[in-house]
Parts: sequence; C-alpha cells; structure tokens
Amino acid sequence: MQFSLISDTFEKMEATTKRLELTQHLVDLFKATPRESISKIVYLIQGKLRPDFEGIELGVAEKLAIRAIAKSSGSSVKKIQDIFVEDGDLGHAASKALEQKTQTTFIKQQITAERVYDTLLKIAKLEGARSQDMKMKYISSLLNDATPQEAKFILKIAMGTLRLGIADNTVMDALAIAYTGSRTNREKLEAAYNVSSDLGRVAEIVAEKNLDGLKEFHVSLFSPIRPMLAERVKSAKEAEEKLGKEFAAEYKLDGERVQIHLGGDKVVLFSRRLENITSHYPDIVENITKALKTEEIILEAEAVAINENTGEFLPFQELMHRRRKYNIDRIVSQYPITVNLFDIMYLNGKDLLNSTYEERRKKLEDITVENEFVKLVPKIIVRSENEVEDFLENGINAGCEGLMLKVLDAPYRAGARGSNWLKLKREYRNELGDSLDLVVIGAFFGKGRRTGRYGTLLLSTYNQEKDTFESICKVGTGFTDENLDQFYQILSSKVTLKKNPRIESGMEPDVWFEPELVIEIVASEITLSPVHTCAKDSVRKGSGLALRFPKFTGKIRDEKAPEDASTDQEVVTLYKNQKKVTQDVSEV
Amino acid sequence: MVFSAKTSGSDEWKAILSAISTLVEEATFEATAEGISFRGMDPSHVALIDISWPNSAFEKYECDGDIKFGVRIDEFSKLIKRSDKTEAIEISLSDNMLLISIGKNKQYKMRLIESSATDTPLPKIPYDTRISLATGLFDKILGDVQVVSDYLTIKTNATKSEFSGKGDSGEVLISLQKQQDELSEISVKEESIGTYSLEYLNPIVKAVGTASGSIVCEYSSAKPLRIEFKVANMGRIHFYLAPRVES
Repeated sequence: MQFSLISDTFEKMEATTKRLELTQHLVDLFKATPRESISKIVYLIQGKLRPDFEGIELGVAEKLAIRAIAKSSGSSVKKIQDIFVEDGDLGHAASKALEQKTQTTFIKQQITAERVYDTLLKIAKLEGARSQDMKMKYISSLLNDATPQEAKFILKIAMGTLRLGIADNTVMDALAIAYTGSRTNREKLEAAYNVSSDLGRVAEIVAEKNLDGLKEFHVSLFSPIRPMLAERVKSAKEAEEKLGKEFAAEYKLDGERVQIHLGGDKVVLFSRRLENITSHYPDIVENITKALKTEEIILEAEAVAINENTGEFLPFQELMHRRRKYNIDRIVSQYPITVNLFDIMYLNGKDLLNSTYEERRKKLEDITVENEFVKLVPKIIVRSENEVEDFLENGINAGCEGLMLKVLDAPYRAGARGSNWLKLKREYRNELGDSLDLVVIGAFFGKGRRTGRYGTLLLSTYNQEKDTFESICKVGTGFTDENLDQFYQILSSKVTLKKNPRIESGMEPDVWFEPELVIEIVASEITLSPVHTCAKDSVRKGSGLALRFPKFTGKIRDEKAPEDASTDQEVVTLYKNQKKVTQDVSEV
Repeated sequence: MVFSAKTSGSDEWKAILSAISTLVEEATFEATAEGISFRGMDPSHVALIDISWPNSAFEKYECDGDIKFGVRIDEFSKLIKRSDKTEAIEISLSDNMLLISIGKNKQYKMRLIESSATDTPLPKIPYDTRISLATGLFDKILGDVQVVSDYLTIKTNATKSEFSGKGDSGEVLISLQKQQDELSEISVKEESIGTYSLEYLNPIVKAVGTASGSIVCEYSSAKPLRIEFKVANMGRIHFYLAPRVES
C-alpha cells in the first residue's frame, strides 16, 4: 500500500474539525487498505506501533530527527533548526527542507505504508551504543524516498506529534462502517477492544472475518482489560437515588490503580492507562503470590503508599517516586506500599466479567489470604444514606479519598463508565466543596518572574457526549516555581500549531496544547460565563459555566487520561447543588 | 563444499570491516573460487561500497563453490580486534557458524545471520576526471574543509585540482598541482566540478586510513564520485558517493 494514501488522508484530516468528515476520511482509507496491513495502519493512525501495553516507544528525539532531515535534504543542521524554530513543527520543517533537497541518491523507491511501519518498528527496537546513529540513518532512508508531504507525516509519527484530533471512538466508528457496513456495530468492536486493549488486532480480525471474528476476543492472561470506570456523585443521598436500597461501599484509596496478571511464575502489572508498569513494583511481583491461593488470575488493586511506622495511607504523590528506571530497589524500601485488592476478572481459565459484583467479591475473598502487604479493600453492604456517611467518615479518617459505591448484581463492564459504579469523593475544605480534575488546553505566556514560561493555563472539562474539551477557566495561582518549570517542560512538547478540533473554546490563548495533561483544581464557586464553553446553553441559553478563583492544588493527575477528567455534566450538577445551598440559606 | 581463507596478518580484515561499518550494520559476503567480495549500500542510498578481494591476496585460499554468508559487522569486528597485527587469521564455515582462527591457538565461532542482500547494481557512469593522491593528504584536505563546511567541492582541469568548501562562517580553497608529492596523476577529458558530503567522505577515509597508501578519485560534473582505495596485499575497495546538486 502506498504511503501517499495515508499522508493524503492525514492531510485532509488536518484540514477539518468536523467529526463526521474525519470519520469519512478514515472509512475511505480503511477501504483502500489491504487486509493484511490494516493493523499497521490503525496503529499509525493512533500514532503508535503496537498496543500501549507492549511498551514499544518510538523514541525519536528532536535532535536526531533534525540530523536525519539535514542528511536527507543536504541542508545544514542549522538551516533545519532555523525552519523548525520558525514554525515549531518538525514535520513542516522536513517537508520544507525536502522541497529544497540537494543530496542525490543512487536509488529511489516508492515508499509504502508497510515500509514506513516496519522501519519505525526497527527504530523503536534499536538499542546500544550506535543505535542513535542507526536510527538517524533509518529515518533518513525513509526521507530520501519520501515526497515532502510524506516526509511531514513520517516525522510526525516518528516523533509522536501526529495530532489528527481523533479519539479511539472515531477510529472504531470508521472501522465499523468500513467493514460491517454500519456504525451501530461500533459497540461490538468496542467490546472486543475492551478485553484486548489492542485496536490494531480488533481491526485486523474484523477486516478478515467481519463481526463473527469478534467472538474470538475474550479475556486472556497478560493482555490487559480496559478498566471499568465510575461516575461521580456529590452526596450519599444522590448515590442512594441511583443505586437503590442495598449496595456495596468500598474505601476509595488514594493510590495507583493496578491490574495484576498472574500465571505460573509470571506476574505482569498494568496501569489504569494500560501501560506495563511491572518494573515499578518489584515488591508486588515478589510478594503477591504468597497471598493468593490460586494459579492463574487477573485482579484489580489499589497500590497505596504507606507510612511504615504507623501503617497510615499516604497521598498518591508518594507513588510518583516509583516511576523511574534506575535504583528502583532503594525506592521500594524508601516508599513502601500495600496492595489493596478490590476486584477479580479472571480465575483459572474462567472469565468473570459477567459474574456479578457480589460473586466476584466473594471469589476474591475466598482466594485471598491477607497479610501485611496484601489486603482486601474494606467493604460493607449499606442500606441507608446514614450508613454511607458513617462509612465515608471512617474512610476519610483512615486516609482515603472517599468511597466507591457499587451495584451488587452488576457485571464488570470493561472500558465503560456507567452508574453501576459511583465514586463519592472526600469533601475538600473550600466553598465549592470539591476539587475538579481539568485538562490543560492552552496557555498564556508569563510576565515578570514567569517570563519564558507559561504564566496562566487555560483549562477545560470533558464532554462525554460530544467527545470535546470545553474551556472552564484560566488558572494562574497555586503554582510554585517548581510547578512552573515542570509545566513548561511537560507542556511545550504538546503544543499544536492550531487548535485541536476536540477543543471548544471562546478564548484565544498564546499557545494551544494537545488536550492530554490533567491537573487538580479547587475553586470558590461556579458562575455563569459568556466566554467559557463548559456546559454551554445547558443552564442558561448563551452562557457557559466558569470557575471563580480557581487554584492549582499542586497535584498533576498523571494517572488520568483526559477523558477521565471532570465532565461538563458534573460541573452542572455542582452548579445546581451550590444553587440549592444559597436558596436554603435565603429561606432560613 | 570447501571454504577457507587465510591472511598472514589482521590489518586487511580490520580495514575492510571498519570501511563496511561506516555504511551498514549487517553485511553479506560472497566467496567464489576467485576470492571474496562484498557490495552494499547505506540505508540512505547515498553511498556504496564495492570490495573485491582476490584469492591471490590470501596466504591460503580455498573455495569450490559460490557461497554467501551474512554477519553482523560490529560482532565480527569485535572478534577480529582480539588479534595482534601480525597474527594470521583464517575463516571458514560450519553449520551456520563462521569459524575464525586467530594466531596459533584461538578460535571463535560466530553465528551467521540470514543474508538479506539484494543485488546492488553499480552506477555506470563515464568518469571525465581521474586524479590520484596520497590518502594522508586527502584526509588532511577533508579536515581542512570540514572546519568551514559540511561538503567538499572538487574542481579539476588539465593542470590542477581545487578542493573547496563554503559554509555560514566562511570559505576554504586548497589548490593542488600535478606533481609527485601532490597529485601523482591527473587525467581530464573535460573540466569537472562536483560536490560531495563530508558526512560520508570523512568516516570512510578514516576507516581505511593507513591501510591504504594512495587513492584514485574519479568523477564527472554533478555525477557520482568513485574513490578507489589501494590496500597493499589486497584487492581494492571502491567507494561510490552520490553528488549534491545546487537547489
């Protein structure tokens, strides 16, 4: 398959922000894709080479890419850097440089999508002393045969800066239309994706065997399951309204959610975002089997940092020390944890996703022998609002964030956020009564002490229905100098030339970002806003919602995907509850 | 099938492997009754090496067929580097392994890799200009030009060659006349001017370096450059480099 088919499609997709058009471009591309290459194409569209859990990263650094462009175009490194600085995108720099190419070659081959994919995979797997040089040569070999437009997208993919503005859902829509003739089959693809976490494989199977093929997807060891998610509720009362008379309440621990796969002697751990994080927790790998009376199992647990002396839970931030490559042994003893089990999805060859919560919890209790390191998440059955509130109080005193409330007879709905699980968070001591997790979508350059960094960030909530990010506030307080440096470091790599089509904003910041980073914000109240687009028209026509006196809490929610951020609907609820409080006051 | 090739020292192998390593990671050698040869192009398709190592250059050489064997160059180099200059090296093949005997009493076995070589055609170009000079002198010229430029321009007429470079910081011009300690040979059908990347020239000249006393450069205006390295006790190494053209 010619790579130009892909680069043409990407070019068209960059020119539109309409989701239907984006989907249609993908459908056309899929229809032109030979079946044996579809998985490669899907990975490339996602800007990756393999599913996340395989941990294969492209790892092409800016410097190296610049050298490759210089080599292929025959321009000097300095000249490429100058073009790069001018428009901030190496993809463009590559295409401009190739237009003025001066180095000739002995052979010129038309470039295929397969060749691009295979070469990038080779690059990702290169290791060792001379690997940087070889990576550079491989990229250069692609660029030698590429047209300027092809070069642009090869570079973007290689550097992880491909921003097509589409989510997995759009890709699944397009796959459903292209291979099953109807978008309504998206759900079936999604179900297969949820248990495999591998969209490339789902595409391959559906392209080859249509819907029938999807039946072969089931839970399997060492292949992560997309986690079930919870809706947020504001009060015990609201929970009771949603869940009925009798439901389960568990402590919601402030740790890292870990999916544990155990089979034979092998233990593999996945994060909530399905990265392989086995290397962060050698202590889990070593000790988990001692607490389990079984052979093969997939579990979910919260890994929580603890104070060794008191046994108290420590905040999530302490776990960040574990995200490193070297000296992990020292860190393990310095920042000890406990593993708190709360769900089981697979046991000795049996898929438990369709078992009820009650059955799963019972199985989990049956096979677990609690010890100092491995525990079950405390859980009770509650029948009234009061019982919920008492349990919440206990949980908070024990250092929890809040409670998870779960329907007793509900299955494990992988990948889905629904009202079978609710989270009731600990109240914060601010007037709004709650913190929000917001996505950074843009920034304004700082002045004075903040010159050269981002002084103010533009934040958004997530709209699940439209799959968009709607602006809710600018925030400039609560940052330490360290935070400012950290934000600049993280965010400067996410800058986009133009606004991502998933962003809805009435404001024009100095720079736009790919909506990826989630940070925690507290505020004094929620007000109507003519500028911000969060929940626009849903409270009052023509108005959105905004935060008043927002402040950064110091927490970067690394573990959250942008789609896990607070939603516009949650903000509407908070807004209405806050109204109620004022009314109550005025009635007194 | 019989194959074994013995050299009296290790310099030839060291020069050849370091030359090849400037372009590719994996190499497929071909052995026939006439000798050993290698041909390969770098991944960017800008440079090409063609080596021919005739049986007469070996102390002992035997081959009764047409054999191809693929090696990882860095692995092969590592083993060869375990030899002293004067130690004889003998290679042979057995069971998908390359046997490398060094000196009297050391033998390595190295796993072969699948040879992925596709036939690399040689550029067929008439060369208008041919000059010959000492490798050391050429190396020095490259160094002189490198200071201001990333590429070398060679201009030759019947009596002299001019090596020049131009960069953001300035320019350089080195002029050589036809005489014994400068250019030992000039033969020009037509005045020629060509520009070539130092990024490729430098490593290969450094790699072959002292193993070769002199080189012959052949080129035509805006056409590839061919450098022949003459290595004593060995055949020849041809290095081809695609030109840069003005945009």
